[in-house]
Amino acid sequence: MRVELAPVAPWRHELGHCLHATAGVLLAHRGLDPQIVLGAGWGFHYPGDLRREEYYLPGHAEDLFAGLAPHHGLHSRWHTPAGPDEGWQEVRAELCAGRPVAVAADNFHLPFRPAYRDVHTNHLMVVHGFDDEAGEAYVTDPVPPAYQGPLPLAALTAARDSGNPVRHDRDMFFTANPIGNRWLSWEATDPQPPFTPEFVAEVVARNVRGLTDPADRRTSGLPGLRAYLDGAWERLPDAPDVVDEVFIVAGPVLAVSGLHGDFLDRAGREFGDRRLRELARLVARVTHHWSALRIAVATARTDRAAALPALRRRSDRVIVSYEQVLAALHGHLSGLSPTAHSFGPERTSKRQTDGLPAEVAQ
Amino acid sequence: MHSRMVSTVVDISEACDNRGIAKSGADESYGFNIWRNTFPAESLPAPGSSVAVAGVTFEFPARESGRGDNIRCRGQLLPLPAVRPDWLYLLGAAERRTEDEVELHYADGAVRTAWLRMSDFWPETAAWFGEPEAFRTSGLRYPRHTHDGHRPAIWQQRIPVTVAGELTALRLPDNPAMHVFALTAVREPGVRDAS
Repeated sequence: MRVELAPVAPWRHELGHCLHATAGVLLAHRGLDPQIVLGAGWGFHYPGDLRREEYYLPGHAEDLFAGLAPHHGLHSRWHTPAGPDEGWQEVRAELCAGRPVAVAADNFHLPFRPAYRDVHTNHLMVVHGFDDEAGEAYVTDPVPPAYQGPLPLAALTAARDSGNPVRHDRDMFFTANPIGNRWLSWEATDPQPPFTPEFVAEVVARNVRGLTDPADRRTSGLPGLRAYLDGAWERLPDAPDVVDEVFIVAGPVLAVSGLHGDFLDRAGREFGDRRLRELARLVARVTHHWSALRIAVATARTDRAAALPALRRRSDRVIVSYEQVLAALHGHLSGLSPTAHSFGPERTSKRQTDGLPAEVAQ
Repeated sequence: MHSRMVSTVVDISEACDNRGIAKSGADESYGFNIWRNTFPAESLPAPGSSVAVAGVTFEFPARESGRGDNIRCRGQLLPLPAVRPDWLYLLGAAERRTEDEVELHYADGAVRTAWLRMSDFWPETAAWFGEPEAFRTSGLRYPRHTHDGHRPAIWQQRIPVTVAGELTALRLPDNPAMHVFALTAVREPGVRDAS
């Protein structure tokens, strides 16, 4: 029997990891727009649930799609087969039902990955078909070097059943975590919200509310981010693992920020809202601070105490950059958007500020 | 080079502290990024070469100093030759795109802030800030092998010197995601020449 689902197109955001790329492929196959669905949410939530997985999303490890798309009613769950045979039969059944599947895989066993036969790591990609007679699966992996095509079933099985051991010091962050033949299923509520100025305004208002007035100020929103970074730097001198932890957390937070900037920019472009495009650029500045912080902590491993002043300075700049964006977004939602730079009619969203905390306003 | 441009190549080799360009089999001291990936040396000019990139002449890679071929930005102060540039052109790349402030130090003691932006070096990743591509190597070097066809980039970027005057130094940002391979001060005589 042979199944090759179509269309299954590679999709990737340049700041995203394999989680966003895989989700984007799956969403697009079901007719959803990855940039809109994955870019709408913007927040911070880290309850300390760290996992050494390339596809880790802080606070949402068990329901990744809920974290990826909080405004679109998506949910996902992991399946943990007893072994490789059961693992393949489950994936095969999904493919026969017309659903491409996200599978966890160790790059060490994947010939198209640079880590092939070199180092182990915990990756995520899409399986979109199989050919029983040829003994092949068809996979889509948009993470550079992007690959879409056949993969010997034996290689896929080895990658999915890998113990993901530590080998060399090459992969510092995502090893020592068995793959376990896991695969992911997901679902979306119907109908999906249309991409309209009203929807964007509602999304922005909810994001601002979540960042400024989160349900749990210890782990979420801007207060949670500030508390997390302050606490991390307190622990850093005596706890080498903090380097890995902050790096792993920063990666998806950076990606989400990058996606949200593009979401706002697209909304501004499609709806003729110049101010929204300016706000998108402000969000990008937050993203670029995360780039700096992520590498600053990753390079602090050998002399953590000496790195503390720079890490604290950058953390302050990350927080300030959020505060600036939030104040500007609040101004936009209030209909106070400056129009001096607009050369034509500018659409501004209807007021969405009811219920926003006062400290957001400037 | 544009006929009106006057370029002054800046020797940054003394400040280089990162080994981002490697021959096959290089030791563990090499590593452009935190994963110790490097640009294959055979895909790039020899150290100390004079190369033209998008109309500007650079010394690239930096002449051999024994310490590295690029600067991982950590707030270093780079002395500049006594010129009155309109632009500071750079070759560089970042580990994920990033932007940050630099400080321009003037001969009269003034300090003015400007922005430096750098796109990601990672293969299959476009220049987010719109920089011209300076170099794209044939593959990406890993600690124990080279992945051919997995092609990282080095970009050309520039910093505007909006207030005319003689510069003495450039303070790089404390942003270790950003790398600088080469620096050239460029003057455009007759353009905005108020003094």
